[in-house]
Amino acid sequence: MSNNNDLERRFDDARDVLMGELASGEELSMEFSGELSTFMRFNGCKVRQIGEVDVAYVEFRLYKEGKSIAAGFNATGDAGEDSARAARALSRAREECALLPDDPYRSAPTSTSTSSEVFAGRLPAQERLPQEVLGPAAGTDFTGIHSQGPIVRGAANSAGARHWFATESFITDWSVWLPNGKAVKSCYAGREWDGAEHARRLAAAKARLEPLSRPEVKLKPGDYRAYITPDALYETIAFFSWNGLGERDIREGESAYIALREGRKGFSPLFNLTQDFSLGIEPRFNEAGDVAPEKLALIEGGKLASTIVSNRSAKQYGVPTNAAPESEDLRSPAFGAGKLAEKDALKALGTGVYISNFHYLNWSDVETARVTGMTRFSCFWVENGELVAPISNMRFDESLYDLYGSKLEDLTVERSLIPETGSYVLRSLGGALLPGILAKGLRFTL
Amino acid sequence: MPMDLPRLLAATAPQGAGWAGLRRVRSTDRSCSARDGKYDSARVTEDEGYLAEVLVDGQFGYAASANADIASLKAAFGRAMTLARAAGPFAIHRFDARQARPASKARWESSREKKSGLAMDDFAGLACSLSSAMRISDKIIQTSVDFEIHEVETEIASTNGAELFQVLHVAFQSLQAIARDGNVVQKRTANGSSARIRQAGAEFFDAGALALDAQRAAEEAIELLTAQDCPSMTGDLVLAPDQMYLQIHESVGHPCELDRILGDERNFAGSTFVKPDDIGKLQYGSKLMNITFDPTVQGEAASYAFDDIGATAKKEYIIKDGILVRALGSLESQARSGKPGVSDQRADNWSRAPIDRMANLNLEAGKDSFEDMVAGIEKGVYMETNRSWSIDDYRNKFQFGCEYAKLIENGRITRTLKNPNYRGVSSSFWKSLCKVGDGSTWRIFGAPNCGKGEPNQVIFVGHASPVCTFRGVEIFGGEA
Repeated sequence: MSNNNDLERRFDDARDVLMGELASGEELSMEFSGELSTFMRFNGCKVRQIGEVDVAYVEFRLYKEGKSIAAGFNATGDAGEDSARAARALSRAREECALLPDDPYRSAPTSTSTSSEVFAGRLPAQERLPQEVLGPAAGTDFTGIHSQGPIVRGAANSAGARHWFATESFITDWSVWLPNGKAVKSCYAGREWDGAEHARRLAAAKARLEPLSRPEVKLKPGDYRAYITPDALYETIAFFSWNGLGERDIREGESAYIALREGRKGFSPLFNLTQDFSLGIEPRFNEAGDVAPEKLALIEGGKLASTIVSNRSAKQYGVPTNAAPESEDLRSPAFGAGKLAEKDALKALGTGVYISNFHYLNWSDVETARVTGMTRFSCFWVENGELVAPISNMRFDESLYDLYGSKLEDLTVERSLIPETGSYVLRSLGGALLPGILAKGLRFTL
Repeated sequence: MPMDLPRLLAATAPQGAGWAGLRRVRSTDRSCSARDGKYDSARVTEDEGYLAEVLVDGQFGYAASANADIASLKAAFGRAMTLARAAGPFAIHRFDARQARPASKARWESSREKKSGLAMDDFAGLACSLSSAMRISDKIIQTSVDFEIHEVETEIASTNGAELFQVLHVAFQSLQAIARDGNVVQKRTANGSSARIRQAGAEFFDAGALALDAQRAAEEAIELLTAQDCPSMTGDLVLAPDQMYLQIHESVGHPCELDRILGDERNFAGSTFVKPDDIGKLQYGSKLMNITFDPTVQGEAASYAFDDIGATAKKEYIIKDGILVRALGSLESQARSGKPGVSDQRADNWSRAPIDRMANLNLEAGKDSFEDMVAGIEKGVYMETNRSWSIDDYRNKFQFGCEYAKLIENGRITRTLKNPNYRGVSSSFWKSLCKVGDGSTWRIFGAPNCGKGEPNQVIFVGHASPVCTFRGVEIFGGEA
């Protein structure tokens, strides 16, 4: 993993300058994020855009005399230039920090822990990418993106912590389309590219296109029994971060789970949510170099077990931290399994809707944890446990207290690891371990 | 400051490329925020890098690198060549540089009154004082203020002679108050959590004007605690510009993007109900609907002189008297489709290839005063300030929620409503547009966080609109 070595050198060079130049009374924590990615975007089994991105960012927080400020720059790979950038950023941070009011909840770094995890991969050669990814899809309307290459994260602080996480991975995030505008969505992700496995997934998707060619069923607004796959449920995961289970959001009126904290609302006893780093898909350390517990139960038996607490919130509210990032976002979430065998899901559904994907979810009312969104891709009307025909896209508007509460009939025994495919600024790490769920009702409104 | 990019290009451009270009982007950002009257955070960042791009036998390839030394950029060009050659047999279109990469020469800087910036102590002090001023009652449980200033410098050089330099000064502000009484929690912001984005200097952070906005947000947060829930009804809907901007963005902007029409976004952001043959024919909305792509509006967030492939920016009608006359498509999308477009190929940074984007997309003002619009309504709701948005992947079925509303009865505004929402289908909704406010109701807003593209890109856009009335809309409240 030679590229990882280059990125790790940039991390250490930045760390050496930032820590080495600290003056008396100054403390600092830093994080490093980088990648060397090849992106191939395709539409209709043709290449739309292809390129490579070499990018690395250093973000740090300087603590000085009761104040704090964040600063950042991008590391170029040129040691001399990067050293100059680090020194310039630190100097500017010092100047600006001196002008700021005191930070009442500053939490200077204390962790001295260290770790290093490196996962090498086997990826297709760049010059073979179009043939490797698009070749097996010839003759189909195959659309999406293939991304590959090393992704790294690092953190260090002036107390002595140093953490490094590097993984060499790929994601082929794609859909195969019919002329009627219906599509099967899929994703192939991992560290060891296997062309035969890619071809097998494509063949399986082609077989799933036939039911989508049937005339669609137009549903009326109303409550429908639903089986919701792990892929679709993944779209609801963000709603435990955004206005979610962060301690600060709950304390300051931003959270949908204030009623959960106060015991006025609850989820089903079947519903369990854990932050589970044993999944091994993202680092456990935060930007200050603190390491989160391997497992943290957040919702147990439908009741709030813990919130997500950063060092800053711990100081502000006098509660124990669980080494969350300052954003208090949920990381590596896992829903508990249920008792429903996946192979029996349609039979258990009986008559209702099979939902493979949701799209563009948003809070429609945070106070009541109500979320609205759309069905997308392969969603079907089911009668007596058999797929009948695809449905027209429907809008739902449902409280998560109901979806994972009074309307939750069962969860599947099997759980799927859904990778995070986002690539805003940088390719994301992480994902979620999720079952499918059987819901007594899902409220369609349009 | 511009560097000698043409010389750097001459020293690094590869042999064998039909065309090669370099785009340098340098951005500097400053931000600060306050919560509950106290300092919360401040951040200063710098970022600079290069996108090396080649065209080989009609196929583009790119490589992004932050390293500006000659050897590194030569290597980047080499990798771009390798990828372009590999993709050649699978090319979606054989591009011609003369068509897709203009040989333009220009320099441009967005306007701002105060060029000297704002010292961090003034910046943070203002945020803290506004946040403190919003705590007007024990029922206010949180106040927050966020300020940001960005400078984005873009420079382009190409082997066919493009030499472009552009600087954008973009400022952002957000003020919010959250009130609670018993189990009722209500949030009120100044025009939304992210709509106040403009091209401006330090004058954007006018302490006097912001104090009035902060006071209003706090007072209305308290007012909402005892307001009735918005009733469920089918009625006339009057939308303020701080909701209209997102209605335009989601149900006009994205559906009219030519790359969505061509299917590029189907796997991620989604498709559109607009077909290629609709351009020039489709009755998109009522005859009162006039939508322009206008990157020339001074102060609007996405004004510019040229896009990120060097196409010269100019105002174009997208929808004229309700008819879709042109799509939001760049030179590349125009070449692929043969359809008319605009100068909108933009990237969110040096590390991403540009794609079709909205820039400024505005609804032109009409003739009605706000008072006349309300007077003509027997029963309806006036809504302000977006708080929720969702639309399907073909951009048909939408649902929006707002922070604050007023009931309209018999031509008069009668009482305040909380949790107002509405839903509809894009084309039928725009056909129900029955009143368009005059210039006195026209306001400029924008969005700093429009997401699109694979790999993903988040970019700022501008939207300006007058107050508008739509007839026969499904309206509902928090428990519906």
